[in-house]
Amino acid sequence: MGLSAAMLPFVTNLPSVSELALLPRKKRLVIIFSPDGIVPKTFWPDQVGTNFELKESLKPLEPFKNKTLILNGVSDRVRGDGDNHMRGIGCLLTGIELFPGNVQGGSDTPAGWASGHSIDQEIKNHLQKSIVTRTRFGSLEFGVMVPEHADTWTRMVYAGPNKPIAPIDDPYQMFGKLYGQMKDQETLKSVLDDLQADMAKVKSQLSAQDRLLLDEHASLVRDMEKEIQASRKKEVGHKVPDMPAGVRRDNDKMPELSKLQIDLMVSSFVADSTRVATLQYTNSVGQARMSWLGIKEGQHDLSHEPDSNKEAQEKLTKINRWYCEQLAYLCKRLAETPETDGTGNMLDNTTVVWTNELGQGNSHTLENIPFVMVGNGLDFKMGRSVKFNSLPHNRLLMSLAHGMGHPIKRFGNGDFCGDGPLPGLA
Amino acid sequence: MASPIYTLFGFAGISLFLGMSVLAPGQAKTKPKALAKAKTGAQVYQAKCAPCHGANGQGGAAFPKPLTGTQSVGELSKFIAQQMPPGPVKCAAPDAAKVAQYMYDTFYSPLAQERNRPARVSLSRLTVRQFKNSVTDLLSGMQPRWGVGTRGGLSATYFRGRLWEGKYPIKRVDSGIRAQFGTEAPKVPGLDNVDPHKFSIRWVGSVVAPDTGDYEFIVRSDQAVRLYLNSQSKPLIDGWIRSSNDNEFRASVPLTGGQAYPIVLEFSKSTVGVDDTEKRKKLKPAPAFVELQWKRPKLAAETIPSRFLFSQEVRESYVVSTRFPADDRSIGYERGSSVSKAWDDATTEAALEAAGYVASRCQLVTGVDPNAADAKKKLAEIMLRTAERAFRRPLTPEQKQLYVEKHFVDTVSTDSAIKRSLLMILKSPRFLYREIGEAQRDSYLVASQLAYGLWDTLPDDELLRAAAAGSLVTKEQVEYQANRMVQDPKAWTKLREFLLSWLKVDEIPDLVKSAKRYPEFDDATASDLRQSLELMLQQTAGSEASDYRQLMLTQQMPINGRLSQIYGGGLPKDADFQTVKLGADRAGVLTHPYMLSRLAYLETSSPIHRGVLVARSILGRTLQPPPAAFAPLAPSLHPSLTTRQRVAMQTQPDACSSCHNMINPLGFALERFDAIGKERTQENNKTIDTSGLYRTRGGAVVKFSGPVDLSNYLATSDEAHAAFTEKLFHHMVKQPALAYRPTLISELTASFVKNQFSIKRLMAETVVQTSLAPERKPAVQPTKAAAK
Repeated sequence: MGLSAAMLPFVTNLPSVSELALLPRKKRLVIIFSPDGIVPKTFWPDQVGTNFELKESLKPLEPFKNKTLILNGVSDRVRGDGDNHMRGIGCLLTGIELFPGNVQGGSDTPAGWASGHSIDQEIKNHLQKSIVTRTRFGSLEFGVMVPEHADTWTRMVYAGPNKPIAPIDDPYQMFGKLYGQMKDQETLKSVLDDLQADMAKVKSQLSAQDRLLLDEHASLVRDMEKEIQASRKKEVGHKVPDMPAGVRRDNDKMPELSKLQIDLMVSSFVADSTRVATLQYTNSVGQARMSWLGIKEGQHDLSHEPDSNKEAQEKLTKINRWYCEQLAYLCKRLAETPETDGTGNMLDNTTVVWTNELGQGNSHTLENIPFVMVGNGLDFKMGRSVKFNSLPHNRLLMSLAHGMGHPIKRFGNGDFCGDGPLPGLA
Repeated sequence: MASPIYTLFGFAGISLFLGMSVLAPGQAKTKPKALAKAKTGAQVYQAKCAPCHGANGQGGAAFPKPLTGTQSVGELSKFIAQQMPPGPVKCAAPDAAKVAQYMYDTFYSPLAQERNRPARVSLSRLTVRQFKNSVTDLLSGMQPRWGVGTRGGLSATYFRGRLWEGKYPIKRVDSGIRAQFGTEAPKVPGLDNVDPHKFSIRWVGSVVAPDTGDYEFIVRSDQAVRLYLNSQSKPLIDGWIRSSNDNEFRASVPLTGGQAYPIVLEFSKSTVGVDDTEKRKKLKPAPAFVELQWKRPKLAAETIPSRFLFSQEVRESYVVSTRFPADDRSIGYERGSSVSKAWDDATTEAALEAAGYVASRCQLVTGVDPNAADAKKKLAEIMLRTAERAFRRPLTPEQKQLYVEKHFVDTVSTDSAIKRSLLMILKSPRFLYREIGEAQRDSYLVASQLAYGLWDTLPDDELLRAAAAGSLVTKEQVEYQANRMVQDPKAWTKLREFLLSWLKVDEIPDLVKSAKRYPEFDDATASDLRQSLELMLQQTAGSEASDYRQLMLTQQMPINGRLSQIYGGGLPKDADFQTVKLGADRAGVLTHPYMLSRLAYLETSSPIHRGVLVARSILGRTLQPPPAAFAPLAPSLHPSLTTRQRVAMQTQPDACSSCHNMINPLGFALERFDAIGKERTQENNKTIDTSGLYRTRGGAVVKFSGPVDLSNYLATSDEAHAAFTEKLFHHMVKQPALAYRPTLISELTASFVKNQFSIKRLMAETVVQTSLAPERKPAVQPTKAAAK
């Protein structure tokens, strides 16, 4: 034959060069964390398959039911130092043991940080390697009311062993990270005219020889003005979101903080600043007091109540339903937002995973960790309720990587990677 | 159309006179021969060109245009050979080349023009150092500050509980943090019955950074530790969560020389999280230790010495971390004589960063809660005062409106108002340039000159008060302030920088010696020596008397135990720095082992480097660079020669000897010391010859028998006094001394001598003289209105 692959388009009826140049769709992954387990009987659907009913905790997903995938029977098998809350969050995305350390939990031996990196960072590193998928940040770590102290219970994302990444739970800080440079340029631009005018006044007071230096300086300022104008033309094709003033980091402001963070996340997707994001509500052992739902007690305290405490179960169901509403709000925003490259809306290309450090609060079980997914970023078969027979969650972490185009052979502790990604998802 | 070469010259602003008919034809015929014999370009020029172009190229009656331009020597030379002089016979090419070179060097090139320009006080921007100091002080001054407490250590509090709880905590000052507790509780007087399983300690105070640069802080511990540096909210090092067996935490932070920064180290022996004390009581206590070190720029890591620690915690201060292009140092001292895009970008970045810092930490920096009802009003007042301090004078109503008030209107958020206002202030020429726009000298101008001259930063509140009261007018008033200011640590910071640059040790990389030849000299030695030198400067120039002669003659050498192992002095190995007398052949800074090691090769001493330092820095002599690059002769090729003999041999040729006749004999006097500054009597089995000499500017010959003799001469030499005065002047004032008056340096030198060689008084006198000097021309061009 002697025809190289590169020559094929010229001799066959293959797609044109411009069609070949089309980039693959922008796949995105979002992981949302809420703490302290769920109430199994108001959470898990009774049915398996495509024909299932959403229970109380998951009701807000009704509009996205055919894009939803509920995975029961996935378990965190990682053991070692640390109590279940610590391992629950520390091993959730890393799939590997915690280092021994000095953090003493409610039981078990003290532990430190996770001994490996988390799956979102694995995927980020993979995406950042190629210019096709590389983005400004690679990943963004959002939080809502994450306590200010750094310990094993407050960190889910790890850049590497002993390298926890603190989520940014102040929307203004996140805004600064996303739009700070642009804001700075606006501020700069707003004062340049006045500055130049005053410079001219100063100049008029100088001797002819000294004026030369200030003339030179003034021309540098003019150059800067031109640069700002030029860079504004290239700016991202969307409006900088308006931030309401003064939403403080305060338990009672959680709904507002949550909305602001979700809106910023969607903005960051529009700007294609990242394709991987995490959103962490409070922390493992989180004590949100959802007064806006009429609940006065802290979530963690409630989660210790036995199943027989009907009132506590109802409140916990309400709490989880609220988290589910946040998930639904994100999905709604994504579904409303068209892709700039014409590949449908953002929910078509984004998979949102909602999870928790425990299966159930009062038993502290690491069996049946909730994993609920919405959206089509990973090409999974959606609109299903699936029940596995206690498969290790490392295999799910691998599925996420595979779905994002990164077919890894193992992740975290290799003992739990068994037969690769979870069966039957894609 | 003119020929291309002519166009080139015309464009460059030079056109040599072509229509010349002054010379008689006979002359033109005989001259080429005479020219061929002419020795120098100067002679050719004066004979052939000067009649029309003037003796200094300034132009003559026949051709009045000055000979200045931007052509290269080669281009000039070609033009002269082809076109000059007018008439049939042209200048011979070799002569043309000589003339071109002469013209170029003497008056033609921009460089030569610059050189020939009469000295003047020219508009200068703040140097990078001055900019950074000023921004720090500007932000720190938005609220009252308090002192650093006493020098010598951090305030420590020992607690019985694991998190600073428990009855009867014990307070004391710890001079440095380096504790091995073992499996026991800390042995602190008054702290009894402590459970060795759980106790906690908090060290609080301030640390002063001696130099500007990146400092690495190192905390070593096997327990929970947290280090806060210049931040109350965000730890620089967070080892609170122990994880795996890493017992060392490191983090770098940029700090500004002379500034104090709050520092807090927290230590807790226990687990964190859920209290498991009862459970652990059954177990044997684990061992525990903690150590706080730093690695200063270019020095080795060490436990932070107590002389840099203070007992009280100051407020956090802002550090400009933007990278700036280096200031011009082409004439020997940093000055703000030019602007560039990189500089302008850096000032913008720094201004934005500072504005963002204040806006995001409004309460902390300004003391005003940005959400309070009257926040805008209060903040506008603070920004007005900030603008006033930044511009070093009160603002006109129009400037107040422009820089502050228009930003604090209702439609602008508090955050944006702070940012815009501060950005404008920091980008304003009124901040960025020294003493501009002043039609006449007034007290504010004097205040600014005093502050930048002595401190490299903004005037403090007292100076501004004096300026507002108009009480910086008479010499006595200005002297009063200068004498106060020279006692401030900021003046020492500036003097210290001068001394390090005068001794040419300010920007050197790590000192390294041949490990084979000097196995005892390692990185720790280099680092210790550097500290020893700095201590010597502090104890002489930095003392109350601040006596220049002490600097040159002191026999008190600050050394520690490690240095004592090499240089003598009889200290135990682990001794901290203390002053000892080290041998009879040492006197003053020139014989400090750091200087001698620095001015030496890996294995051998370097009389040339040592001689050049003495000639240039200390005696103020001008030395031309060597005519070509020479590699020093390899000692191994001349094993029978001493360094002195080898150097003498290599610098024998005439081309070398004109300078080396001065350099070598000065350096030879220091041959008593080897490449690491250790005393010696022999080299290669030959007795060391330490005799030297110096021919003064007046022609007298001074002979030295060795290092002490040399130091004695340098301590008493008029030449050295004048050179020191002049170099210090330029470091402080950053303008040519001649611009003030031709006699200023000799006047200052005379007062230096009269005042017992007090360097600090010389500094004060220098700023007094320059800030009151009447020589400054009125800055404003007379306008029509002014003329009336």
